[in-house]
Amino acid sequence: MARHKGRGLATIEYPTGMNQSGDLTQSWIKLKHDGRVDVLSGTVDIGNGSKTAHRQIVAAALGVPVDWVTVDVSDTDASPWDTGTFASRCTFIGGNAVKIAAERVRERVLEIAGKMLEIDPADLTIEEGVVFARGAPETNISVSDVAHAATWQLGGELISGTGTFVKPFAKILDQETGRIDRDPHAALSYGASVAEIEVDDETGEVRVERFIEAYDIGYAINPTIVEGQIQGGTVMGLGLALLEASYPYYPSPEHRGADFASYMAPSMVDLPQIDFLCLENPSVEGPFGAKACGEMANNGQGPSVAAAIHDAVGVWVTELPLTPERVLRALEKKAAGEDAPRVDGKWVIFDEELSINAVGAPDADVKFTFDPF
Amino acid sequence: MKITVNGAEHELASPPLTSLLNALRDELNVTGPKVGCQGGNCGTCTVLVDGEPRRSCLLPLAMVDGAEVTTIEGLGTPKRMHPMQAAFHFYYGSQCGFCAPGMITASVALLERNPNPTRKQIQNALGGHICRCTGYVKIIDAVEAVARGESFDGAELTRSRGGEATPKGASA
Repeated sequence: MARHKGRGLATIEYPTGMNQSGDLTQSWIKLKHDGRVDVLSGTVDIGNGSKTAHRQIVAAALGVPVDWVTVDVSDTDASPWDTGTFASRCTFIGGNAVKIAAERVRERVLEIAGKMLEIDPADLTIEEGVVFARGAPETNISVSDVAHAATWQLGGELISGTGTFVKPFAKILDQETGRIDRDPHAALSYGASVAEIEVDDETGEVRVERFIEAYDIGYAINPTIVEGQIQGGTVMGLGLALLEASYPYYPSPEHRGADFASYMAPSMVDLPQIDFLCLENPSVEGPFGAKACGEMANNGQGPSVAAAIHDAVGVWVTELPLTPERVLRALEKKAAGEDAPRVDGKWVIFDEELSINAVGAPDADVKFTFDPF
Repeated sequence: MKITVNGAEHELASPPLTSLLNALRDELNVTGPKVGCQGGNCGTCTVLVDGEPRRSCLLPLAMVDGAEVTTIEGLGTPKRMHPMQAAFHFYYGSQCGFCAPGMITASVALLERNPNPTRKQIQNALGGHICRCTGYVKIIDAVEAVARGESFDGAELTRSRGGEATPKGASA
């Protein structure tokens, strides 16, 4: 009886957010009279770090220090609309919404500053909270002074901007060829997971020693949060690969593990070495080129561990989680000469027609049909 | 029943079989310890009872009569953080934050017991605390940083650590 080492690879592509219209985020930004920026966005941060990322996006798009920006997501009743925190959409869709709003605020600040400095707004720019003339930085005025003047001297204006981002339907221009008028997907992220494991052929136990994770996320707005998303996703993927299942009657909750003693989530002692690589291949539509890195970070570990088991002991275990029982049964079959050929799960074959119908609207006059009520 | 919570003594009205967690949250309004699994499996209700990390969901009040209880609130405040809280903040050791009250109190107790733990010892000591967000890596980094004696001053705390990576084209 021995332990066998193996290594497996899986690759993932991940579409950001939902693409068939209807997945929108709105935001509203107000510039207070002292220059502080309040961002009201529908996006709720559930630990994914979107609040911090939005703060950075607004600061960068507006041209003020990050410290000036507050993101308030405390009340979903008072906030602008957002469909939710899912599908890795917060930075991409929510981030675009706050970026558009911030750009409108910036535009208005430049207009007012242009009047105050008697310069064409097109010749002005904002950096680090200061509006100045391009090429003549000595002609400048602080953003907080502009906001103050707008409030107290120029008629009491509250400088504000709204932003909405939604990926519209792709319209089918030609039924024959399926030609469509736009890229139907907002952005595609790509990832790969390599698992290095050890299988005990006596107990069927699989131990992951190391994961190597590579993700193309477009642009890392906050690299530390991206790191956290990838590490967190990897450990969640480890759970999906080896431990977690809603047995035995999924999706019925009957008789399934009701607590963490019977529904096993990975703990700190299960932690393998996690190495990762973050590739930045910017998206055309994403805020500063960002794509997504939330949900896809836990998609690759199941298949990469399964492939590594095949590499180690020569059997395909085709159901997740890859429990010792399933590994042993596969080994027994192999020993009995019933080594079943690789059984594929659900094959998702790319069907161009189905795909276009899923993301496209055949009727060119399709209106916005999403009704939250 | 008398207990001292974060330095203040309280005479409790809850029945003796009430869990310490419920007494803290419902009677004393100390809501730092979270109600997670209520079965001792997840660790987020962990408090220090006379300096020892304990699952407050499993402790009847009768067993902590006269004890000194420290919750996450007793370690530090947002303005004056305990070094462990500051390290969790600086190292992004918390994402949704639900496990943090237990993780941090247990980490403080670990370093009291063993000021220079190895990575493996940290993993074993915090092995009963479940975190679904961070993948644990940054939590271990934070505990190691405190053990190394790293300190985090106010300036570093208010700085967004990603600030240095403010998006390119900031003033395009």
